[in-house]
Amino acid sequence: MKNLYRPIESVIEDIKKETPNITTYRFRPKEPVTFEAGQFVELTVPGVGEAPFTPSSNPNVKDTLEITIMRVGMVTEALEQMKVGDTVGIRGPYGNGYNMKDFEGKEILIVGGGVGLAPLRSLILALFDDIDKYKKVSIRYGARTPDDIVYRDLLPVWEKKKNTEVLLTIDEPHPEWSGKVGVVTVLLDDLPLLTTVDVDKLPFTAENAVACACGPPIMLKFVNMVLLEKGFDPSNIYLSMERNMSCGLGKCGHCMLGEYFVCMDGPVMTAKQIEKFEDPF
Amino acid sequence: MREVFIGRENLLKLIGRWAKDHRVYVPAKFDIMNHEETPDYEQVGDEVPENMTLEGAALATNPKSFIFYPREVVAKYPSGESDADVEAPETVIVGPRSCDLRGLRKFDKVYWSTEHFTEEYDDPFIVEKRKNLFIVSVDCSFAKETCFCTKVGGQPWPTEGFDLNVSPIDGGYILTVGSEKGEKLMSGNDDLVTDALPEHLEARDKRRRSVTEAIDRQNAEFFDEIESSYDKLDLEGTKEAWAYATQNCVACSACNRCCPTCTCFLLVDQQSDGAYERTRNWDTCLSIGYARTGGGGNARPELPQRLEHRLRCKFEYTRDRYGLVTCTGCGRCIDVCMGRIDMREAMRHVLTTEKAEA
Ligand SMILES: Cc1cc2nc3c(=O)[nH]c(=O)nc-3n(C[C@H](O)[C@H](O)[C@H](O)COP(=O)(O)OP(=O)(O)OC[C@H]3O[C@@H](n4cnc5c(N)ncnc54)[C@H](O)[C@@H]3O)c2cc1C
Ligand code: SF4
Ligand code: SF4
Ligand code: FES
Repeated sequence: MKNLYRPIESVIEDIKKETPNITTYRFRPKEPVTFEAGQFVELTVPGVGEAPFTPSSNPNVKDTLEITIMRVGMVTEALEQMKVGDTVGIRGPYGNGYNMKDFEGKEILIVGGGVGLAPLRSLILALFDDIDKYKKVSIRYGARTPDDIVYRDLLPVWEKKKNTEVLLTIDEPHPEWSGKVGVVTVLLDDLPLLTTVDVDKLPFTAENAVACACGPPIMLKFVNMVLLEKGFDPSNIYLSMERNMSCGLGKCGHCMLGEYFVCMDGPVMTAKQIEKFEDPF
Repeated sequence: MREVFIGRENLLKLIGRWAKDHRVYVPAKFDIMNHEETPDYEQVGDEVPENMTLEGAALATNPKSFIFYPREVVAKYPSGESDADVEAPETVIVGPRSCDLRGLRKFDKVYWSTEHFTEEYDDPFIVEKRKNLFIVSVDCSFAKETCFCTKVGGQPWPTEGFDLNVSPIDGGYILTVGSEKGEKLMSGNDDLVTDALPEHLEARDKRRRSVTEAIDRQNAEFFDEIESSYDKLDLEGTKEAWAYATQNCVACSACNRCCPTCTCFLLVDQQSDGAYERTRNWDTCLSIGYARTGGGGNARPELPQRLEHRLRCKFEYTRDRYGLVTCTGCGRCIDVCMGRIDMREAMRHVLTTEKAEA
């Protein structure tokens, strides 16, 4: 029988520092690991351990994958010590991706906080491949300081794509920052109340908008609250749920959220799926 | 199901025959410092151990340990085989009780393709061992103080999930064949058994009834006030009620480890001789690291939240996911708790407190 726990040897092909504690790695697995936007993989640093990450590269690129990783603890620190040419392990993909068929013809609001823009990048790149299918892609991203902004060189490129806008904010005022200041929910202030919207003029309409959010739990909690207040349908709000994960296979139990296994039923879950939980974040 | 009668001498012979070409474990009695311990499994060597006993209730060890080891190597890398290398000798275990068989059903749900996932998610390390496990279950002939199977949808004798079942009666045993594997265990052994007579079956049923009544009696104080049926419980409770129920818990996780339906694990990697090894280790939801996330987050930082999670997992989450309430009423978590936490009492407290507030 196939061994579910075996990591597939993968070579580090490129390392790019995004911020002082966030790095993007490109890996080339020795056996194909293809994924859909939103699915995740388990990354092994040999002898140290595994941790779950959502690839940040375009899912339509099949032979390599990129992951953008923030240094927070044991595995991520050990990874930072590695060099181009070193070998890591990857298994997956696991979980559900975004149901992109459902996004066609819709306005898509993408809300990221900190390293949370990483998993969304893979969605964004997949959307760009078929941008004519979507009415609008609005990317709203918040970082702690200007130095913590990831994909600094990509954001201006994204902004120029058809049907696309990019809005940024940083948490606190900073001498080198002339843009918006405040936590990421300030970027949602301009959203009209969907229930009272003038369909012809305003960009987001209740039936026709989906929102995808990823970031720290506290940010997700507030973004979800604001979006619901603005009238988004809970089944159109996709939230990337963070849980402790070990197996990624619906077996080890760590990622349980009530009867859900976030690794199987998520990691992207709709606000509808989690509305019965008092504090799911 | 085919039923036959067997005397004690012949049963010992039968077990001895199995031991020629299988690993065989039987329940045995132990005295430690003149204190009679709960019987536990002992491997059969050249002879069936003299201290074998088929009397009593659930053994100290639950049978998950035969398919789900506390620690097991599950991968070697970087260049491991794509197929799993599993050692799974044919093993006969004599002694699981009805509650234990219900416990194994949870393992089948989680690890072996069922309606809940596809075959590619089968866990080779558990499935291979499970396939080669021959289950010879035993009726309970009396109840421990902590048994409550009848209150959670069970009964003190197995009705399904066994290969062979042994019902002790005066003067011998009734064997019930429950599966193809059970037929295999019986084949070539007809010389040891005789027909089960109506009076044998009557004696068995009488025993079963009296054990059932005893269990119902000893649990009335816990369950009489609980209005909901065991498979409709909502243990959300108040924060205060859970804090009260948890006050003597020291987070040792013994309750998780002894539980026949605690299936959780943690993968741990290590270096050995220049190569790397991944081990699977039992993990426990009562421990603080269980739900910790990178960078210091934790889904259940407080102990009462973790005990709540454990009990709601048994009664609500697995029911909603697998259609299976996974507390089997075996009572082991009560037997082992050094804080003397009795989950029946905890549930009563949480459910009745909630009611008082509503
Ligand atoms: C689906 C998913 C996608 C993700 N995608 C990304 C991504 O794209 N980019 C990104 O940067 N992050 C991502 N994360 C978060 C990432 O998985 C964590 O940051 C990562 O696990 C941290 O690993 P670490 O070993 O460095 O951290 P640590 O803080 O060392 O801990 C890692 C794990 O080990 C356990 N642990 C640590 N110490 C102990 C202890 N003393 N006792 C018991 N257990 C302990 C923790 O419970 C934790 O789960 C994602 C998470 C999930 C669930
Ligand atoms: S056995 Fe008792 S003390 Fe130990 S973790 Fe379980 S409830 Fe707490
Ligand atoms: S929760 Fe306790 S009584 Fe229920 S099956 Fe587990 S160990 Fe037995
Ligand atoms: S990560 Fe193991 S069950 Fe979800």
